[in-house]
Order: sequence, then C-alpha cells, then structure tokens
Amino acid sequence: MFVFPKWLNLLRPGLALGMVGGPIYALALAYYALWPRTTTVGYQPEQPVPYSHALHAGEMGIDCRYCHNTVDRTAAAGVPPTDTCMNCHELVRRESEKLIPVFESHATGMPVPWQRVHDLPDFAYFDHSAHVTRGIGCGSCHGRVDKMVTVHHEELLSMGWCLRCHRHPEQHLRPVDTVTQLDWVPPEDQLQMGKRIAENQGIAPSSDCSTCHR
Amino acid sequence: MSSLKGNDFWRSLEELEDTPAFREMLRDRFPHFVALANGPASRRGFLKLMGASLAFGGLVGCRRPQERIVPHASRPDGRDPGVPVQYATSMDVGGAAIGLLVTSFDGRPVKVEGNPGHPASAGGTNAVAQASVLELYDPDRSQAVVRNERGTRMVQDWAAFDGFAKSHFEGLRTAGGEGLAVLAEASSSPSRKALQHRVAEAFPGSRWIEYESLSRDSERAGLRSVFGTPTRAALDLSRAQVVVSLDADLFGDHPDQVRHARDFAAHRTGEGGEMSRLYCVESAFSLTGAMADKRVPMRSGAIPAAALGLAARLLRADAGRGTLAPILATQLAGTAVTDGDRGPLDRMAEDLLAHPHDALVVAGPRQPAAVHALCALINLALGNEGHTVRHVVDPDGERVSHGAAIAELAGAIGEGQVSTLVVLGGNPAYDAPADLGFGALLEAVETTIHLGLYENETAGKCGWHLPRAHYLESWGDARGWGGTRGVVQPLIAPLYGGRSDLELLATLLGESTGGQEIVRETLRADFAGVDFESHWRRTLHDGVVPHGGEFPPVDSAGAGGTGLDLASLAGADGGGTEVVVVPDGKVHDGRFANLGWLQELPGAMTKITWDNAALVPPADAEALGLTTNDRIALTAAGATVELPVYVMPGQAPGTIAVAPGYGRGSAGHVGDGVGVDVGPLRTTGAMDVIPGVAAAAAAGTHDLACTQDHYPIDPIGESGMERRLDEIYRSADIEHYRHHPDFAQHVVHHPPLEQMFKDHEYDGHRWAMSVDLGKCVGCGTCVVACQAENNVPVVGRQEVENGREMHWIRVDRYFRGEPDAPRAVMMPVTCHQCENAPCEQVCPVAATVHDREGLNVMVYNRCVGTRYCANNCPYKVRRFNFFKFQDPDSDVEKMVFNPDVTVRSRGVMEKCSFCVQRINRVKIEAGNDGRLIEDGEIVPACAQACPAGAVVFGDLNDPESEVARLHAQDRSYALLGEMNNRPRLRYLARLTNSGEGGGHGGGPGGGHGEPEEGGHHG
Repeated sequence: MFVFPKWLNLLRPGLALGMVGGPIYALALAYYALWPRTTTVGYQPEQPVPYSHALHAGEMGIDCRYCHNTVDRTAAAGVPPTDTCMNCHELVRRESEKLIPVFESHATGMPVPWQRVHDLPDFAYFDHSAHVTRGIGCGSCHGRVDKMVTVHHEELLSMGWCLRCHRHPEQHLRPVDTVTQLDWVPPEDQLQMGKRIAENQGIAPSSDCSTCHR
Repeated sequence: MSSLKGNDFWRSLEELEDTPAFREMLRDRFPHFVALANGPASRRGFLKLMGASLAFGGLVGCRRPQERIVPHASRPDGRDPGVPVQYATSMDVGGAAIGLLVTSFDGRPVKVEGNPGHPASAGGTNAVAQASVLELYDPDRSQAVVRNERGTRMVQDWAAFDGFAKSHFEGLRTAGGEGLAVLAEASSSPSRKALQHRVAEAFPGSRWIEYESLSRDSERAGLRSVFGTPTRAALDLSRAQVVVSLDADLFGDHPDQVRHARDFAAHRTGEGGEMSRLYCVESAFSLTGAMADKRVPMRSGAIPAAALGLAARLLRADAGRGTLAPILATQLAGTAVTDGDRGPLDRMAEDLLAHPHDALVVAGPRQPAAVHALCALINLALGNEGHTVRHVVDPDGERVSHGAAIAELAGAIGEGQVSTLVVLGGNPAYDAPADLGFGALLEAVETTIHLGLYENETAGKCGWHLPRAHYLESWGDARGWGGTRGVVQPLIAPLYGGRSDLELLATLLGESTGGQEIVRETLRADFAGVDFESHWRRTLHDGVVPHGGEFPPVDSAGAGGTGLDLASLAGADGGGTEVVVVPDGKVHDGRFANLGWLQELPGAMTKITWDNAALVPPADAEALGLTTNDRIALTAAGATVELPVYVMPGQAPGTIAVAPGYGRGSAGHVGDGVGVDVGPLRTTGAMDVIPGVAAAAAAGTHDLACTQDHYPIDPIGESGMERRLDEIYRSADIEHYRHHPDFAQHVVHHPPLEQMFKDHEYDGHRWAMSVDLGKCVGCGTCVVACQAENNVPVVGRQEVENGREMHWIRVDRYFRGEPDAPRAVMMPVTCHQCENAPCEQVCPVAATVHDREGLNVMVYNRCVGTRYCANNCPYKVRRFNFFKFQDPDSDVEKMVFNPDVTVRSRGVMEKCSFCVQRINRVKIEAGNDGRLIEDGEIVPACAQACPAGAVVFGDLNDPESEVARLHAQDRSYALLGEMNNRPRLRYLARLTNSGEGGGHGGGPGGGHGEPEEGGHHG
C-alpha cells in the first residue's frame, strides 16, 4: 500500500494559500483587465491621415463645429466629409504626402476610413446634441483635444462615469456659448453657476435606464 | 357545450370543451420548457454547448472591437449622419396601391409607415406593407440573370441578356410581333400602361395578358353590365350608417382595406349615442364578420339567392312608397319573395330603406358578377351613389378578365402561336388554373423570359430569369383603388442589380431609358402647362401628384343593366360541400411566402402560423369524425389535396375554407414547403368557390403551430377562466350603453384597493396608451409593425409550437356564443406598463425597473433570465429569448435592423417598451429646440401602423391630451384592474349595434348587480 511521505505535509500551507489566494488573484486580474481604464483610456489608434487636432483646433483655433457640424443638431457629432477638408486643402498644402488619402478620396468619391476612438457599446444610445445644447462642453468627455496631435481616449466613458454627471450636472454645466472652448476653465463658483444654469434651462438629467438603453 | 351561457367568451374549441390537452397545458407551470425537457437535447449536450460558448465568449470579450468611421466624401444636402429620413413612395399589390412613407437610416430603408397624405392609407398600413422591408433584404431574392438551357442553370449577366434581347426583339419587330406574348401581373402604373401601348404599337401581332389568381374581375364584370363601361366601386364607409356585406371582407382582403378600417371606425365609438350597423352574410369567418353587428353564416353558393331575396324584400318593403328607382323593379319583375318568415334579410331590407343615401350593399370577389350587378342596382336605387359608394371609371379599360385571358394564352401556346413569352412578375406556373397545366405549357414555348423578385416555380421553367428590382429599389408610379396617383421612388440602389418592369419593357422596345425618365415622361403629359420641375419635386415630396388624380365617376344616368339573368341567382347553389379560397392577409397569392414576419403572424381568425389549413365548420367536422390537427382529403375535378384540419367556429355548414399561397416549392428558405398548395383544386371558372367537393378524412395528423391557446390570461386558475373572460373583454350593445353609459366600470366588483407600496411620483410625463376595442378590426398590422420597429425576431415553426413566439404585441381573439354561429372579438394586448408592476417586484437583479415617467423598463444587460417576471405578469406579455434568435448569416439580413433598438441575445427577457426610442427621439428634439412636446408628436409603431386608429398614445399629465380624454371616457376600463396593477394601457369597451333592442346584447357577464356596500368598481 502506498502511503504519502510525511514531508508532503509541508506543502499544505502553500496549497491552502494557493486555493484561497488563487481565485482572488484571478478575480483581481480579470477585474483589472476588464476595467475601462485599462481597456479604453489611452487608446490611441493610428489614423489613415495623421490629422492633428493640436494644429487645427489648437494653434489655428478652428471651432469644433466647423468640422463636426451636426454636433448640436443630431446624435452623432459627425466626422466631416472629405469636402470639408478640401475647403482649405484645395489651396493649402497641395504637395503634402500626408494628405494623399484625402486628395484620393476627393478624386474618387470613396471615403477616408477613419479609426473610431470613442466607441460606446451598441446598447448605449448617446446623443451629442442633447449634451452640447444644454451646456456640457466637448472637453468634458473628450479632454483637451486641442492639445492632442493624435487623438486618444481621455475619459472612462463607463456607465458609472456617465451617471456621476447625470446625478450632479452642476459640476460640469457651463454657458452654452462656451461649450466648444476647450481651454475653458471652470470658475470658482462652478457649483453655484452650474445650479443656476440647470435651473434656468430646466436641466434635470435622468438616471433612468431608458434614458440611454433602448 | 350545451351549458354555455350566451355571454361567455372562449378562445378555442379546446378550451370550450375543456379537453385534457388544454388542461395539461394550463397545469404546466412552464409550458415553454416542455420541449426542452422531453426533446432530443440532452443535459450533456446542453453543458457541452454552454461550456463552448463560455470559452469563446471569454476569448472575444477581452479584445476591443476596432471600428471604422466612413463619412461621405461629399455629404449630400440635407443629410445628417445617423438621422432617419422619410421618403414617400407607393406599394402596388395586385393592381391597387397604398401610399407609404419609408424611413431610411443612412440610406438604408428600415421601416414602412402609411402616408397621411394618401387617401388609401391616411397614415395606416397593412401587414404586407410593413413586411416589405424584410422582402427587400431577403437573401433568397434572385441575384443574377439566369439562363436555363436543357435543364442546366447557368448564371449570366445583364450584358448577355441585353445582347440576346437586342437581336431577338428586333427580329420580332420586323416580323410584326407575331408570336410575342407578354404575361403581366396586374399593375396600376400609368407608366406601364403607356409602355403597354407602345409595345402593342411596335409589335402589332403581339398579345398582352394580365393575370392575377386572386382577381376581383367578377365585380368588374358585374358593374360593367350595369354601367355599360368598365367600372370600379370605391367605398366610403365613413358615410355609411348601414352596411350589408355579402361575402365581402372589407377589412381583410379588399385592396382598399386600410381606408375601409379607418372610415368604418368613425361611427363605432357610440359618441352621441349613435353608431353605424354592419350586417355580414358570409361563408368563411372574416375580419368583417368579426366586426359585424349581425353576422349570418351562409354558404358562398347560397349567397346569390340571399342577395336576390334581399332585393325582393327591399321592393316589397318599399311597395307603395316608390322610393326605389324603377331600375331595380324592372330587373326584378317576376321575382317573388319565397321566404315568408321574417328573418335577418327582412331586417336588413328595412334598415337599408330607413337610411337612404347612407346605406351600402357590397359583395365580395367570390360572388358571381350578377350579385355585384344587383348590389350596384340596390345602391343606385337607394341613392347611395356619391355618398357611400363612388362608381368610377376602371383604369384598365376593356381588358378581358384574368381567368379568360390566361385560358386564351394557354390555348394559343397549345396551338403553337406563341414563340416568345415574357412573364412580368407573377408566378403562373404556381397559381394559374390547374386545368390549364400552365407549367408544362411554359416549357413548350421556344423563348421564355421571366422577370421576378425570386427564382420561383415559373423562373425554373423559363429560358431566362431576370432579377426584378424591389419597389423600394425602383422608380415607378401607382394608383390607389380610388385612383389617387402616387409615385414610387427608390430608397436604395438595387441590391442585386435588378431591373423594374418599366425598364424591362423599355429593353423590349430596344431602348435603355431609366425608370425615372420613364415616369417623368408619363407625368410630363399630365403636368402640361405647369412648371414641370416644381410639380415633380412636389410629387416626390408628397408621394402623390398635386390634386390627387382620383378616377372620374362613371355616368350613372344610363345605368340599368343589360343581359343580367338575375332570376338564375336563386338556383345558383349546386349543393354539396364547397371549398372557398380565402387569402389570409399574409402571403397573398404566395408572393410573400418567404417573409418570416408574415409566416409567423398568427392568422387573424385562426391564430395559425407557418401553415394553411382546411377550415372546417364544427358540424361538418363532427360528421366526418375530424378534429383540429387531423388531416382531410379534398377532391374536386379529379385532383385531391390533403390538408390539416382546423375546426373553425362560425363557418357556414357545407363550406370548407382554404388559404392560397402555401405549399410553395421555390419560394426560398423560409417559404418552401410551408403549408399545402391548394392550386390543384382551382380550375378555370372555379378559382374562388369550388362546388361539389368530396371531403373525406385522410390518414395521419399534422400539428398546426397555433398560438390561440398561448399566453392565456388566467388570474384565478382555469376554473374561473370562463367567467373571467367576460371581464377581460368588455362590450355592450348601444341600447344597453345608452341606459348604462358606465357599464364598463361595473363589470368587476372588488374591495377598496389598498396601496402596499409607496406611490411613484410622476412630475414630468406620464406616458399612457388607449386601445379602442370598438375600432380594432384585428388585422395584425400592429404585430408586424412592432416586429419591424423593435427588431423582434422570427423564431420558426417549431418554436411557435413550443410557445416561444416573441411578438411584443399580440391580438387575442375570443369567440362568444354557440360554436356554430359565434361572434368573434379582437383584443390587442401588449405591455400595460403598470404603475404597480408585478414584474418589477420579483426580479432578483433589478433588470426590470420603473422609470420616472412610468415606463416599465427592461434592462437587457442586467437580465439573468430567471423568467420570474414573465411568470408574474398577469397579461403574459413578456417574451424570453430561449435561443439566439437574431443571428443573421449574411450582412444583408442585418440591414433590416432598426439601429435605434438593441438587438437582444439569448437568455434575456424582452417586452414592449412603448417604443421608448421614439419617445427619447422626440424628447431630445424638443429639448434642443427649447419647446414642449406636442400631443400626438410621439407615436409608437403599433399606433402609427393601425389602419383603424384604434391605438392612441400620449401623456396623461397633459389633461388636454387625446389619451387623457380617452382614459376619462365612460367606456374606458383597465384590464385586470382589480389586481391594483394600475396599468397605463386602458381599453375602450366595444359597442355593438345589433338593433335587437334592450338587453345586454353583448353586455357584461356574471358580475353585474347591485354594487356591494363599500365596493369599488374596476
């Protein structure tokens, strides 16, 4: 008959540690791996055209809505059609190699296949117009795009993150005419001002599930 | 059965007879699970599947999906990405069109609505129009030019056909068109008519045949004999106080059904204590029969005699007064009223006479021409012309009838006179009269060319098959039943390179004109003298040409009738068993057989899905020893067809009804082999009513996938059900209503309701819905509209049998009275959005929660699939995804999804959301503009599609809203309100106008009596 040797008893604490700690470790790993901060924040895909927001929106100060012109009317902010680029680039930087995909698109009518940076799950329905017309700045969700050479994912855009503002909009509300000012700094009395704006415009964002999930 | 009280409602004969099978189904707490427990799926297999799914799920879950954004290179004017746009168009089925507004997301049509500016629609639609987007994206549609040569199928392209056509038709043209025949579907398109004339000019020796297997040509012939010119009857039910329908299904299979439903609804609310009265004499139970105040089951073969009897009684009752014009008297000279007893016909005659100008007598397409002629004479005599009926010039002119035309073509082919046959749509190899043997004849023609949406039975027998462009892909024009001239404009480029009828006809003429130019050319003649471009743009925007373009009225002054042998009507019925062919409003003549939405739509009267059946009256079934799900063999003219039996209460004894369009062999993956083809029974001259049929029991059984006993609302167990059904569906006769206007409030008595929970506060909106049972005709359009709007899956025949259909709204059908002659009522049921929702209280994971506007919200991501909510829902409106039903194989199938609604996966519960996506869209728009939401601005899909306007949605917190007004009406009641659910959906009780005076008529059942002390009413 086979009997386990006595020295095997030494392994028992280690085994116990493994059995208790292993699942905890695995859970922690999974949590970390699936946390939006790990999976999405900082996501910075390479675009077919190395378009620099830092140059256009930052240095030159072009308003967000020059290109994203449906942002205050529709759910989608609207990535601009090639025609919008060509408004300037018909004359500017005709020789640039970086712009070849844009010129090609203009010539052929085929779109430029941009990489999506900010991507909400398909079961969440976000409407840009509902936010920018009520005084939520572009930068509140997208960060200082005017400083990004290549756009990256700045904020969490998780449900909990959305709800923080939906429950306390006064922390982020600002005068509607300043929503596209990316360098806007909240005043010292932001909370009072936010409350005032919310009251004046009847802004009471809902945290019902049906607001975003249909 | 004999113990049945007159007021009791019942759903099916199984329930009425309380069969063991029905008891078993009720006893089973989880009827949906039976198949899984007993079925071939083993526990081991289940675990294996689950394990594999988990592993794969885990693998994909970690990676961030990479998506691309592809903007336009040049964005068209007025087009915003992701914003739906509506375009006006028209859909023509069988030669009459209804106007539509089609919603398109980023160039992708996803939803069909009615065009409020088109009188044939007035904003409503029918189930077929709703399902047409599914047809557009059907992957089974033919996708290439096909050449069939000596039994081999070769895929070719349009260039090959164009090359062939150029030389072939040039040759025919030089030969004077001898040997060319065009067999076309009926079409109301003026452009096609123009091209037809041009084909006739270019090919003078050619034939043009128009054929529809579901034809209304007997009406055409009857009216022609009265007015002396091809005539069509356009009805205006909104002005009719008394309607007598003789085998006519005004709300089910009439081309103008949508308009009829809306017009009829106008006088059914009992407002002011007055309402219209509908008599229906019919063989098969139709929607019109269900709406009727008095329905008389009668064999189709006996109805001509009844029509004659009605006319004779009209004359007798009118004797001495002379109100009736002499035309009727002359025609009926010598016709005596044989039946001396006072029967329903006498009452009809008196009622008709009492309402001159406001009465209407109408016959159905199954009835012979002479009956239609008689109806027209009666209408003329009563002065109804121009009021309830408009006799207008038939746009088809002097064409031969569909039946005669195809028989003539068959003869010509047999004699070798046809060398080239062009089939424009249609499927004659499947639906031509059986005695013609048309399929074999097709193969005898040297050159055959078929243009069709599908490679159907006819395509397989033709040398060339050409893919046809869907109506949502092509330019065209179309006219409504009354003549309204609409435009057909494409919402998407042809997915499979199809061409329209118009473009193919242009090809035959050796031209390459595009569809748009053809349509513009036709309109140019009409817009002579005005600025064409501005009129054209206006037409495209409105969907109808400016100033309508209704057909002109015929000259009724000289009407009188010639060559009518009315006296022969008395002996028209040959006796024996007759089979009537009744389209079921789903697949039509078989052309929509491949559309899962329609196949799975429960039949309006039978609740049968995925099948057709022989509808046998209870007495005949008993005599033959048959019950539902047995099989029956029907033999006529040497052909035998075996069908499953469905015992149909209320069907006239001696009549067996069957639906055409089933048993297709080349419909596609969905429609193939569904049901039984009844075509072999239909012969020239007996297409709709087949007399002298031998019916016998056949071997075997066939389980029909029938939803009628699914989801029974059964609050206190089966013992109480019979009594409770009267409380569920509340109705009364107008006479009773006049004396007890609040009858609907006094059906259920219960102790005062105590609130166990803290009340919700609704300081914003309080969305609510009202369904008028007096208006609902039970057509099922709402079911398909909801399916299209909310991405509701099709589950297939087997899963329907398992009780797992997914429809968010269903139409319950109850019978009342004795099974031989019951009345039927319709009740649409969807989520009631209870303020005290029983479902919310049992969800362990808060996946179904209350929002601050009172919507009972389903959160798919939280749902773990316990199904407690569905079990606790008293209305049985929650649906569980037992499988991943929405899992399209091809990208084209995904295109039909509404991007505003989440596509649900396996394992989650779902239900009606009051179309929350539409609510949110309007809320956001109104908020952006800084304005309030107007009443009527938010319209859920069911309300929008309803032809009768029975569904109204709105905000209860707005006291001026229509829904608040309706909820406050005396007819309004809450279904199962005594459970203190506080449903936001309330029904308006139905009123009938039987004219039998006093009594309850359809009055409330058991519960009514003196109110108990301190009792409350629900």
